[in-house]
Amino acid sequence: MDRMVVESLLRDIGVLSLEHLELVVIAALIAAILGVGLGVLGTRRPALRRYSLAFANIMQTVPSLALFGFLIPIPLIGGIGQRTAIISLILYALLPILRNTITGIAGVEPSVREAAVAMGMTNGQLLRFVELPLAAPTILAGLRTAVVATIGTATIAAAIGAGGLGVLIFRGLASVDTIEILAGAVPAALMALVADGLMAIAERRLEIQR
Amino acid sequence: MPSHCGEHETAPVRSKLLTSFEMAFLSFKDVLYRRGALTVLNRVSFDLEAGETLVLLGRSGSGKTTALRLINRLLEPESGTILFDGEDIQHVDPILLRRKIGYVIQEIGLLPHWTVGQNIALVPTIAGWEPGKRDERARELLSQVGLPPDEYLRRYPRALSGGQRQRVGVARALAASPALLLFDEPFGALDPVTRREMQLQFLALRDRYQTPSVFVTHDVAEALTLASRIAVLDAGNLETIATPDDFRNVSSPVARSFLDTLTPLDKVH
Repeated sequence: MDRMVVESLLRDIGVLSLEHLELVVIAALIAAILGVGLGVLGTRRPALRRYSLAFANIMQTVPSLALFGFLIPIPLIGGIGQRTAIISLILYALLPILRNTITGIAGVEPSVREAAVAMGMTNGQLLRFVELPLAAPTILAGLRTAVVATIGTATIAAAIGAGGLGVLIFRGLASVDTIEILAGAVPAALMALVADGLMAIAERRLEIQR
Repeated sequence: MPSHCGEHETAPVRSKLLTSFEMAFLSFKDVLYRRGALTVLNRVSFDLEAGETLVLLGRSGSGKTTALRLINRLLEPESGTILFDGEDIQHVDPILLRRKIGYVIQEIGLLPHWTVGQNIALVPTIAGWEPGKRDERARELLSQVGLPPDEYLRRYPRALSGGQRQRVGVARALAASPALLLFDEPFGALDPVTRREMQLQFLALRDRYQTPSVFVTHDVAEALTLASRIAVLDAGNLETIATPDDFRNVSSPVARSFLDTLTPLDKVH
């Protein structure tokens, strides 16, 4: 293969990987804030827990490409481009984070919660000193699932013009160019593996601390 | 007087005046608590005097734990009044009320991600004491419950035996010099030897602090050892209240059935 072609492909991989990472990081951050926030509120309000879980469940059930499709015609949040992709990635990542936040907080031993409340902790102190620290490994496990899934789903975001490594995959598919497909697929897979590994280490650290 | 004063601003003042004559440190007045169709506490009234240990003795489901949880407002009565230090607790902010009341439960409930020292200093921490003072207090209490601070302060609860954990639980309850202590079968899950040690520890701490206590148990031997007075609860009704000496002679059949659980050797002396 021509050196120029290789160089340009490598440049593309670099630029698109950064774009990909940007999509994932923004979506995961917002999903984490929303998911943990809704999850915490859900442990206080059963109705909110039911509705938010049902909503997140439905969002995750919709195939990702279809979700992009649904969002495009919606005014303000829709349209072609990065914003639509990020919103749909958020909706996609919400369920594991939300579910694990609720499970993690519900899993705090009743006697620990009772003692903390009976000693005079406020609701906020209970959350900060007891529930969030004890639920942290479970919440992190949810975030890990969400991030790994988002890295994969974000490849499809190229279909609606959001960029990322999916661009190479789609271009390769269109021109039946295996090298180009791999140039998108392999970095995306590596990114997912590295993210998974790093977060697994963080999770273990949190668990060892107790 | 209506049992519930609701939002009335004058109510705390009125109750303060009343109790200044009665001198009781904690009073239950016609306290009713129901769960669904079940009457858990049936218009129960009793007084706890300053410095006294009142043992609530009863079988499982007699309402004794409910009575405790009404005092620190983990539960709210349907009707009736609970006066604590001259005030209707309905008019006290539950958060502030709880910080004045030490609470020890059978399951202990130490925070697993906090060290022994941090656990003991729980109330000082949430009440905003400065760290130096918190540490000092944790050390002091740790040695008072028989655990050398240098060895135990930085350990995590998982590295302690059951008895040691409950020692930490007791130290935690005492940390902010509470006005009242509540014990809910604190030694029920311990082996008999450890339980005995803990009872002796309890008596030693009581001599030192003189903090009035309400102690829930279903063990009549424990009640006789620790109580200033024993109140027997049965199916939500207060059967009898007596000092340990009088308790052996009361006619209440429930009290008698508890005494029958003592071995014959114990009965003799």
